[in-house]
Amino acid sequence: MLFNSLTFVVFFLAVFATYRLLPGWGAKKSLLLAAGFLFYGAWNPPFVLLLALSIAVDWWVAGRLDQAEEPGRRKAWLVVSLIVNLGLLGYFKYGDFLLDTTRSLLAAAGIAYQPPHLGILLPIGISFYTFESLSYTIDVYRREIKATKSLRDYAMFVSFFPHLVAGPIVRARDFLHQLEAPAAPSAQRTAWGLFLMTLGLFQKVVLADTLLAPAADAVFGHAFPLHAVDAWAGVLAFAFQILFDFGGYSLCAIGCALTFGFHINDNFRFPYAAKGFSDFWRRWHISLSTWLRDYLYIPLGGNRGPAWRTGINLMVVMVLGGLWHGAAWTFAVWGALHGLLLLAERGVKRLIGDAAWASTAPAAFVGWLVTFVGILVTWVFFRATDFGGAMKNLASMAGVFGAQGDQVLATRDLVQVGGVALVVLLIHRLLRDTSLEAAVARWPSWLLGIAWAVMGVLILLTQGAGSSFIYFQF
Amino acid sequence: MTTPNAPYFERTVPAQPWTILALAAGVIVLALALGWERYCRNLGYEPGLDDTPDLWVEARRSVQPDSIVAIGSSRILFNLDLDELEKGLGKRPVQLALVGSCVAPMLQHLAQDPTFHGTVLCDIVPALATVPPMAPPYHNTTKALDRLKNQSVAQQWGHHLSLPLEQTFACLQQEDLTLAALLKQVRIPNRPAAQVGPALPPYFSTIDRDRRTRMLDRVQTDQALQDRVKFGWLPLFTPPPKPHWIPDAAFGEYMHGMLEGRFKDFADAVAAIQKRGGKVVFVHFPSSGDLRPLEERLIPRPAVWDRLLKDTGAPGIAFEDHADLKDFTCPEWSHLSATDSVEFSKRLVPHLTAALKTP
Repeated sequence: MLFNSLTFVVFFLAVFATYRLLPGWGAKKSLLLAAGFLFYGAWNPPFVLLLALSIAVDWWVAGRLDQAEEPGRRKAWLVVSLIVNLGLLGYFKYGDFLLDTTRSLLAAAGIAYQPPHLGILLPIGISFYTFESLSYTIDVYRREIKATKSLRDYAMFVSFFPHLVAGPIVRARDFLHQLEAPAAPSAQRTAWGLFLMTLGLFQKVVLADTLLAPAADAVFGHAFPLHAVDAWAGVLAFAFQILFDFGGYSLCAIGCALTFGFHINDNFRFPYAAKGFSDFWRRWHISLSTWLRDYLYIPLGGNRGPAWRTGINLMVVMVLGGLWHGAAWTFAVWGALHGLLLLAERGVKRLIGDAAWASTAPAAFVGWLVTFVGILVTWVFFRATDFGGAMKNLASMAGVFGAQGDQVLATRDLVQVGGVALVVLLIHRLLRDTSLEAAVARWPSWLLGIAWAVMGVLILLTQGAGSSFIYFQF
Repeated sequence: MTTPNAPYFERTVPAQPWTILALAAGVIVLALALGWERYCRNLGYEPGLDDTPDLWVEARRSVQPDSIVAIGSSRILFNLDLDELEKGLGKRPVQLALVGSCVAPMLQHLAQDPTFHGTVLCDIVPALATVPPMAPPYHNTTKALDRLKNQSVAQQWGHHLSLPLEQTFACLQQEDLTLAALLKQVRIPNRPAAQVGPALPPYFSTIDRDRRTRMLDRVQTDQALQDRVKFGWLPLFTPPPKPHWIPDAAFGEYMHGMLEGRFKDFADAVAAIQKRGGKVVFVHFPSSGDLRPLEERLIPRPAVWDRLLKDTGAPGIAFEDHADLKDFTCPEWSHLSATDSVEFSKRLVPHLTAALKTP
């Protein structure tokens, strides 16, 4: 079920109204649990069983982990959880990819092998709920949280529909305590939640789908070399499309959760104002980057060892982070490029040290520009369907084909992409050191009301013609 | 944003009168939406269904093993009156044609359905039936087939929820009145070498739950609308220039191979349907004005129509071969008016009956 669909509007209103009418906290939680499974089943009913299996195994394993004292036994229970979760994720998401890669490697070695194409259907949101579930068992293993005795609470946490299929990746330690007692009803909080949902939908259906996606699709779907203007406009369009697609989903999820009284942390913080690649990762898909930091980078040794070891840790994390997005080597290269850029940034910082000029405005501008352009280049690998397409786009961006490159974008597309990019970069720059809440609190109320209404009207004008969220495929 | 020093994070609600703002924004949205609805009606838009992928899937799912099925592009959508065919053939055809689409993958889809042994009325527009697989008309068909395969339960619910809204509000009209379509109406000159596709025709038809499509009566009287539609066909029917990155010989070889493959696909699909006891009849619907000579010049009859009938062995009805079918005029050069489509269908029935009797 898409947030940008009529079905979701009806579903949300029905669940919200029933939630408000139900008298007991237990009944409300049961309602949200049922709603989560309905929400998930509305995509493909059989996969509800997979979700239920993942929930049941991790709840049960966490209970055993909590009770066990012997380190070996505790480790064994954790391994069970890892095998089940990563096994399901590996089979459904990477099964065909691994077979294809094996075939390619064997072919390179001169061995002809044609594995069967499994044709596995990827259960929507499996990457998200697997990571949520894993963080729970790992936190219980580390004794950072207690295992919950309530299967219903745990199932509701994982299947809470706002974040179920496309994040943010919520952690049990941030959510389960919210199920202990109901939040006092608050009209203010509900209305603010609705505002965030409107803003998120506006970002998705108006900015991403209507103004940006056509240009990105035209450029990345074009089979031939492009004019440099079109190639840059295409990657710029995709950079902002994916921001508003996923950022918009995250805002909808946060706002939707808030209307039920639940708090989910930010997932994006004005990422295109980042001055440096590490700064970018503190602002982009925060729930994933912090997950990878806490459950992969630090256990690998983080930056505690020698520089070469830190470099390897970083590269492993970024490549796996890339592959988390999709079962294709283009995603791995995207992650590897980010790893290299992070390493380069560390090197440059070490070189510069505490030089006074490094904190001047021109230096900050150069830092921002290098970061932004670097990120644009990496998006080419994220968006292109294969390396041939990616290299063609990069060569086009470099102006290799000159005036011979195909001009596939209408002037209107260029105006739309350029206009959105300029306005959004300005907004990100202005808000980079603050928060949306702090900025909104400063706005005159009448202006906020008009902005809300304009967003609402523009959303209605799109008539639900938007597409699925890009992150659904992950 | 988290509240500092809180044991757990809690989102801050910015200090604003949110309840009042929500009510005010809701009232403004409602007022503007109603105003927009009134404005759209004044412009001549009427409430009616949109030809969505889900409406097509609904029709496809209604196909029975022995159904009469109409496939093709907009010509068979506009020109076939389902009531007349039901009267004449004894069964109401299921309308599966898609606007601006290539019919080949649809015929193959029916051929691959092991349960289907009915009758296929296959509209042939040569310029569309022979497009390469990367062209938009081919994609229009595969997109619908993908929807059939992947339609989720939520999408089915959404379809049923949207039907009453579409039948109530004129502004819910997806050809002209979405934000994307409105933006396209802003004319900004393109770069001289820009390879931008021609504009699609504006709103000029209605569609019902059976996907029977009718041209609006005012197309016959509103010259400006008629001109907008008809002069839109010429660039749409003109094939784009050959990509200059591909050498002429290689391009010619590719197109030749693609066309030969396409004729084989047609022949295989017809044979598969016939093997199960089904029938296929090809139909060539009228076109008029400047469009007809353009079509004949670009793809002469022997190149596609005659070759198709020869390769497949299936019967064909070309409007120009029959005195009672050839004198219809398309007001906007490509489709019959709603009134003429009824008469055309009535006259088509005896030809179809005869064609279906051929072994």
